[in-house]
Amino acid sequence: MEKTNNRDNQQSRLRAFLAGDTFKALLPLIGFAIIIIVLNIMTQGRILTPKKLRLLLSSIYSPTIVATGVFFVMTLGSIDFTEGSTLGVASLVVSALSFINVPLAILGGILCGTAIGAINGFFHVKFKLQSFIVTICTMYLFRGVCAYFTTETAVPASADIRALDIDGLKIGITVAVLLVAWFLFRFTRIGNDVKAVGSGETAARFSGVHTDRVKFLAFVAAGALTGLAAFVNVIKVGSITATAGNQLETQILISLVLGGLPITGGAKVRFSNIIVGTLMYAVLNSGLAILGYDPQTQQLIKGVIFLIFVALTIDRKALKVIK
Amino acid sequence: MDKKTLLVAEHIDKRFGTTHAVNDVSINIAAGEVRALIGENGSGKSTFCQMLCGIYTIGGGTFTLDGKELHIKNQVEANDEGISIIVQEMGTLSGLTVAENIYLGHEAPFMHMGVKDTRAMNREAQKLLDEYGFGRIKAGAMIDNYNFEDRKLVEIVKATYMKPKILVIDETTTALSQNGRLELYKIMDAVRADGRSVIFISHDLGEVLTHSDTVSILRDGEYIDTVNSADVTEDDLKRLMVGREIGSAYYRTDYGTPISGEVVLSVRGVTVPGEIEDVSFDLHRGEILGFGGLSECGMHEVGKAIFGASWDRKGSVTLADGTAINSIPTAIKHSIAYTSKDRDNESIIINESIRNNVVLPSLDDLASHGLLSGGKLTRFAREHAEGMQTKMQGVGQFVSDLSGGNKQKVVLARWIGKDSDILVLDSPTRGIDVKVKQAIYALMADMQKRGKSIIMISEEIPELLGMSDRIFVMKDGRINGEFMRDPSLSEEDLIAKMV
Repeated sequence: MEKTNNRDNQQSRLRAFLAGDTFKALLPLIGFAIIIIVLNIMTQGRILTPKKLRLLLSSIYSPTIVATGVFFVMTLGSIDFTEGSTLGVASLVVSALSFINVPLAILGGILCGTAIGAINGFFHVKFKLQSFIVTICTMYLFRGVCAYFTTETAVPASADIRALDIDGLKIGITVAVLLVAWFLFRFTRIGNDVKAVGSGETAARFSGVHTDRVKFLAFVAAGALTGLAAFVNVIKVGSITATAGNQLETQILISLVLGGLPITGGAKVRFSNIIVGTLMYAVLNSGLAILGYDPQTQQLIKGVIFLIFVALTIDRKALKVIK
Repeated sequence: MDKKTLLVAEHIDKRFGTTHAVNDVSINIAAGEVRALIGENGSGKSTFCQMLCGIYTIGGGTFTLDGKELHIKNQVEANDEGISIIVQEMGTLSGLTVAENIYLGHEAPFMHMGVKDTRAMNREAQKLLDEYGFGRIKAGAMIDNYNFEDRKLVEIVKATYMKPKILVIDETTTALSQNGRLELYKIMDAVRADGRSVIFISHDLGEVLTHSDTVSILRDGEYIDTVNSADVTEDDLKRLMVGREIGSAYYRTDYGTPISGEVVLSVRGVTVPGEIEDVSFDLHRGEILGFGGLSECGMHEVGKAIFGASWDRKGSVTLADGTAINSIPTAIKHSIAYTSKDRDNESIIINESIRNNVVLPSLDDLASHGLLSGGKLTRFAREHAEGMQTKMQGVGQFVSDLSGGNKQKVVLARWIGKDSDILVLDSPTRGIDVKVKQAIYALMADMQKRGKSIIMISEEIPELLGMSDRIFVMKDGRINGEFMRDPSLSEEDLIAKMV
């Protein structure tokens, strides 16, 4: 009798664990481990060669910087679909200004991204439009701008800026962005405020949070960081075509969700979601490429994994429409 | 003399994680009986009923209705078995018409080959509304056109028109005005006369004794006793609920304490279109100023207006030093605190930890050079949440797990932590049991002694009379009467100015 009780207890404890927050918090890491192991077996170890790792790293700098900005937007429970087109337009600005001098090009990229972020934030906050409506509209708009300048021919950047394609510099920028963002999120009001808005906007307003200001600034941050990422992008690619930054927004969204960021934002968001997520996406991407799947099949597999993750990590208690 | 037993609940059990919400409860209810179910917040009465109605799955034990064991998976199935519920919060769906709400889940009679006959549905619904005496509510209109109280009346129709064998009423009366309550009592009497049964959950013990036949008491998820309403007093019930004697010092007992001449807050000509008109008054140091009236009289908006939370406010709210209060951050910065009637949406962030809720308004004070330390925040939250004797597993626990009374303790803990001098408390004891109520009244009296000023907005006339130094009664958005604290002041005096 006592034994069955014991087993029942163990079973119910296991069930509670699987449904609980600890498990959900660990899920991204477990998923990451599984993906590495499975891909490693399937590719017979080819995914972990030094050459492949270096390639893998070089593909994550700019997405990590962008994801850091979008992280704040998604913590609000909002969504931003403009990263791809912002990266495209800002890359054009960076390339054009790179012929004058490099610091000006960096500044121009950031300002361009900031402006786009401010437009998104303004329409979202002032007109109380849902963020996904606003950013889908602006995504089309800036995708159009990008196409307009690149239809005839690709836009090249100066040789000066292409000469900066040094791993150390790109790692340095990425790490600096992560550190500053982590510090702001963890040790200042900003982190508390964005999480509060994500968990309950009305209650946050009644607790003295400047909700409109917080929302506006999150979109501005996402834009500014995408503008900075454009610089890293230009260093790498050298010339800008109409497809610059294509589908970056979905890549970022998938990365953050793979990293364990609840799509509803709010209290259960962790800063580590950014790093785990972008790494996981990059490993998955490179593994699928090494395995020789064509792009369509890759997309299909990624879509399935994404769906599974959203279903497993979503906070059903906090479920509501994305703002 | 023994009536037929209608519902048998045997060994009903439910756990939420580590909380044992309902612990082996067995109850029998006879046909034609109105059974009140009482207990403190978190005693398991709502959970018990929600299992009966298919809202929660049954953790253990069985319900047998009319000799048939129930296996209910959702509310529609519960309706089909003859069980319906009127819930505490909003139970109607926005964006649908009144008729669509009434027949939600039971549209079949109006469907012809997959097409809904809207006219027939509206006709039938209007017939029902007229029968209930709610003819002014139009079946074809959108539910959103009606206020909270009318929507509750629609819900009552929805829950009772199919003549359920068991009608569960879960703390509905707190949302209703006197008229709405009378309608509900009438329906309860009709159900009883018809040989069917009511399970009636309420914190208002007076109402419990007058309108129920028997009362079952739960405490901490366990069944305590069932008594005949005719044989007991309110004090007996309180003792059974709490498990100890509740002192008679419920409200403050002092009379004739002079109000200080020092004005801390002046409200001049405040108007919020559609809500309040030209409201002016002064709040004094160390004063408890009560605001009463019917629920639509505008008094709740007065609280929001003072806190700078109204969307479109004219007129001025100023502190003694002339500082104008025009936004929530300014109000909080200048030591004004506010607790909303709509606790779950406006007072606390449900999907956040107790810790982050308590520290939120005080973040600027807790930061040194703009930097926050996690340990300091946790200590601050623990100190004030424990100071309020919040029942919790730790400050990391999410507020959504707490009962109504404990949520309110978290709300109060944050403002005590902020050490605000002016507290605007809207319906501070709404949906809260006697023990926590008593604690809140004691806290208010203590704050008053320390020179804090309190504005208490309340729909409960006894607490206005018991706690206020001065009472404003509002009607149609305007102040319609002012009363000073006096032992001879009666409920009737106030009601006369409300209607």
